[in-house]
Amino acid sequence: MIKKADIALFFLLLAAGLVVSFASLSADTGDKVLITVSGETYGTYDLSKDQTIHVSHDGHTNNITIKDGSVSMSYSDCANQVCVHTGAISQTKDSIVCLPNRVMVEIIDSKAGGDVDVISG
Amino acid sequence: MSSQADRSYALRTKKMALSAILAALAMILSYVEAMVPMPVPIPGIKLGLANLVILLAIYRLGFKYALAINCIRIFVTGLLFTGVFGILYSLAGGLLSLLVMYLLYRTEIFSMVGASMAGGVAHNLGQLLTACLIMSNIRLMSYFAVLLFAGMGSGILMGIVAWLVCQRLPHLKI
Repeated sequence: MIKKADIALFFLLLAAGLVVSFASLSADTGDKVLITVSGETYGTYDLSKDQTIHVSHDGHTNNITIKDGSVSMSYSDCANQVCVHTGAISQTKDSIVCLPNRVMVEIIDSKAGGDVDVISG
Repeated sequence: MSSQADRSYALRTKKMALSAILAALAMILSYVEAMVPMPVPIPGIKLGLANLVILLAIYRLGFKYALAINCIRIFVTGLLFTGVFGILYSLAGGLLSLLVMYLLYRTEIFSMVGASMAGGVAHNLGQLLTACLIMSNIRLMSYFAVLLFAGMGSGILMGIVAWLVCQRLPHLKI
């Protein structure tokens, strides 16, 4: 039932997965929180300053809480609540995504220019 | 009319009826899957039960029928349960995975398990690319590693199940 080509493909995909993992594991500690809504910048906030940001967009509400150097989605009115369950993030490789409301929270390093890391699939 | 033409009509009717049954089965499996909670809160990690049906359709009915079954499943379950955005995600994943599985099937050097594994990865890649487009953000690709392994896992699992089903349904051959 299993053929040689299957096993070759298995290891190929495994290798590809490991390469992608290592590429996306280059984490840094950031200092700013970037909130984007529908791909547009909503605002940039200091990671060291505790606060709660209310994001209202197209009738949707998301609350983003910055506390003790980490960020979490404390409230979202979306159906699946995946973003709320993501928990707190504190490193540049991390992000919180709310697909239904199209809200994304990222941590950036303003000293490094805050550039996005592009991973080619 | 010759009896040969009659036979080809009968075959087409048989294939069409089987496609309708498989489309219904795929929809039910999509629905059942939506009710099974996944242990990790990452969107896109799922069993892919409907993929079983699509895999069987590719191997036993052909590409055209598999495509029709997949599209019917996506649009009907989308309209019933997930909405327009759900349809977009499902279409991207479903069509890419169907294409990859069909191509691997055509090479004839892969088994159902291999085709299903690649299909699972292709499905997740298609959905992730759609998410990147909708969110206009390439950073979402950092989820790709996780989704790649998840796609491999569920793909292998569903491939084995599809193979077992094929063994037990030899008369399904058309």
